Amino acid sequence: MSSQMNALLREKEILKVSNLSISFGGLKAVDDISFLVHEKEIFGLIGPNGAGKTSVFNCITQFYRPDGGEILFRTNRGEVVDLVGKKVHDIISLGLVRTFQNVEVIRELSLLDNLLLGAHTEYKSSVISQILRLPNAKRDEREMAARAEEILEVLGILNLRDVPAGGQSYGVLKKVELARTLMTKPRIIILDEPAAGLDDGETLQFAETIKQIRDRYNLAILLVEHDMRLVMGICDRVCAINFGRYLACDIPAEIQKNKHVQEAYLGEEESDVD
Amino acid sequence: MEKNKAISLLLKDPRTRYVIIGVLVATIPFLATAGLLRSAVVILIGSILIYSVAGLGINILLGYSGLISLGTAGFMGFAAYIAAYLTMNLGFPFEITLLISIAVPVLLGLFVGLVSFRIEGIYLAIATLSVGEVLRRSFEELVGFTNSFAGMRVNYPTLFGVWSLDRNGTFVLIAVALTLAMILTHNIVHSRPGRALHAMRGSTVAAQAMGVNILRYRLFAFAVSTGLVALAGVLYVHFVRFTHPDIWGWGLSLNILALVIIGGLRSIYGTLLGAFVVFGIPSLILVRLPIIGDIPGVSFVFNGIVIVIVVLLYPRGIVSIFTDIGKLIKKTGRA
Ligand SMILES: Nc1ncnc2c1ncn2[C@@H]1O[C@H](COP(=O)(O)OP(=O)(O)OP(=O)(O)O)[C@@H](O)[C@H]1O
Ligand SMILES: [Mg+2]
Repeated sequence: MSSQMNALLREKEILKVSNLSISFGGLKAVDDISFLVHEKEIFGLIGPNGAGKTSVFNCITQFYRPDGGEILFRTNRGEVVDLVGKKVHDIISLGLVRTFQNVEVIRELSLLDNLLLGAHTEYKSSVISQILRLPNAKRDEREMAARAEEILEVLGILNLRDVPAGGQSYGVLKKVELARTLMTKPRIIILDEPAAGLDDGETLQFAETIKQIRDRYNLAILLVEHDMRLVMGICDRVCAINFGRYLACDIPAEIQKNKHVQEAYLGEEESDVD
Repeated sequence: MEKNKAISLLLKDPRTRYVIIGVLVATIPFLATAGLLRSAVVILIGSILIYSVAGLGINILLGYSGLISLGTAGFMGFAAYIAAYLTMNLGFPFEITLLISIAVPVLLGLFVGLVSFRIEGIYLAIATLSVGEVLRRSFEELVGFTNSFAGMRVNYPTLFGVWSLDRNGTFVLIAVALTLAMILTHNIVHSRPGRALHAMRGSTVAAQAMGVNILRYRLFAFAVSTGLVALAGVLYVHFVRFTHPDIWGWGLSLNILALVIIGGLRSIYGTLLGAFVVFGIPSLILVRLPIIGDIPGVSFVFNGIVIVIVVLLYPRGIVSIFTDIGKLIKKTGRA
C-alpha cells in the first residue's frame, strides 16, 4: 500500500496538500486548498487575518480533522503517508513538528527542559527505567541534553539554559519554541507567525536564523507570516489564500505582482479603515 | 581527596537529603521512649507523615499534572479497609496485603481516570468528590467487609511473618515509606514522564504536538497519585490501628488538598511543611490556647484563614518563604 502511495509524491517533494477543506458551522475556514512543498524549501503561506492559515496548519498536524482532502507526507523513514486520520501525538515521530501562533512553551520548565520535552519521542528507554534512573535512561538523558545544548547554542540562548521559560522576553520564547521543534531531527517544521511580536531588528535577525536552520539541519520550512519583508526576503515560494480559498502560488516577486493577492490585501486595508 | 569529592557529590544529590530527613524523622518516637516527648505527639507526628505521603500523591496530580481530585479520602480509606480485612479477617501477611491494598485502589483510580478523560477543572472536582463519597458510603453499608460504624481494629504490622513491629517500629516503617515516596516523586518529576506531566498542565496542545499521549499520561498521573494515597491508607490503618467510616469523609480530602496548596504546589519539601501546618498546628498549638481552643471546628477555620493568607501573599506556598530567605542569604553573601 505504501509503495502505491510512494508513487504519489515525486522525488524532492515532501508535503503535498490536496483539496483540503474544513468548515465550522456554515463558515468555510479552508476551502479546497492545494499546495506542494519541496525538500529543503522555505515555503510561505500568506493571507489576511482570518484567511484560514492557522486552520491549514491545524489540519496538517491533525489538531483539526479536515472535512475533505489529502495531506501526503514523506516521513523520515522515506515512506509516503496520508496524515489525515493520524493521531495528533503521532505526527511528530513521522518527522513533522510545529510551533503555535501564541507561543506555547512550558513556563515552569527551564529552557533546557522545554527542549527535552521536544525530544519526548526520541527516548529509547522505558518509563520505568527513566523513573528508576537506570543506565540506559541516563544515557538517553545525556544524549538529549547534548542535542539540546547544541541547538540552544545555534540560536544564541545557551546562556539561559537553566532559567525558567516563564518571564523570558517574547523574542527568547519564540526561539525556544523554534529550538524545541529541532530536537527530533524533523524533515519539515511548520511555524505559525514566528516573527509576530518581534521588533524590526529582531525580525531581521530571526529571518537570518530561519535560513541558517534550514541549511544546518537540512529541513523544509513551511511558515505563516504577516511581515511581508520577512516573507519576501526568505521564502523560496509563497502561497496566498483568502477567505479559505486559494489565490496563487509562486516565487515571491511574482506573488507581489499578482492582482488577486494585491486585491486581497487592499481589501483588508480598506476594512481596517472603517 | 577523591573520597571527599564523592561525599560532597552525594550530599548534593537531593535523594541523599530525603534519606537524611527520613533518618532524622525516624528518631522521633525514641525521643518519646526516652521521656522527651509525649506519646500523643508521636502519634500525631506519625499521622502527619502519613498525610504527607498522600499529599505527595495529590501534588503529582494537582501540582504537576493540573488535575484535581476531591476523592482522596475515599481512596485512602478504601486501601485502609482492604488492608484491615486482609490482615485481620483473612490473616494475609503484611507484604501481600500491602500489594493488594495498593493495586486495587490504583485500578479503581485508573478507571476513574479513564471515564473522566476530557473532564476538566470543576467538573473533575465534582466527579472525584462523588467517587469519594460513594466509597465512604460503602464503608458504612458493606457491614460484612467493613464492620460499618462499629469500626475495625487492626494490629501493628508483622514483617516477613516473624518480625512484629511495635509503635516505634511502625513509625520507622512510615519514615521509610515517606523517604521512598519523596525519592519516587523526585525521580518522576525530574525525568521524561515528569516533563510530560508538566506539559500536559502548562499547554495541552504543545504536549500533544511534542508527541505526548495525553490519555496515557493522565492515567499515569492518576495511577501514581492513587498509589501513594493508597500507601498512606495502609500505613494509617496499621499505625492508628483503627478504621471507621467517619474518618474518610470529604473533610479529609479537602485537608489533603489544602496541605498541598499551603505547603507549595510542585514542591516536595512544601508538601511536608504543608502537612505540619494543616494537621500539626491546630492540634499541637491551637487547641491549647485559652478561648480559641474551645471553638468547635477551630482547625477548619484555621486552615481556611491560612489558605487565604498563603494564596494572597505566597501563591507558591509557604515553602517559597524558605527559598526566598535562601536567595537573600546568597545575595548578601556575595555582596
Ligand atoms: N476551532 C474553530 N472553531 C470555529 N471557528 C474557527 C476555528 N478555528 C478557526 N476558525 C475560524 O476560521 C477562520 C480562519 O481562522 P484561522 O485562525 O485559520 O485564520 P488565520 O489565517 O490564521 O488568521 P490570523 O492571521 O488572524 O491568525 C476564522 O474565521 C476563524 O474564526
Ligand atoms: Mg493564524
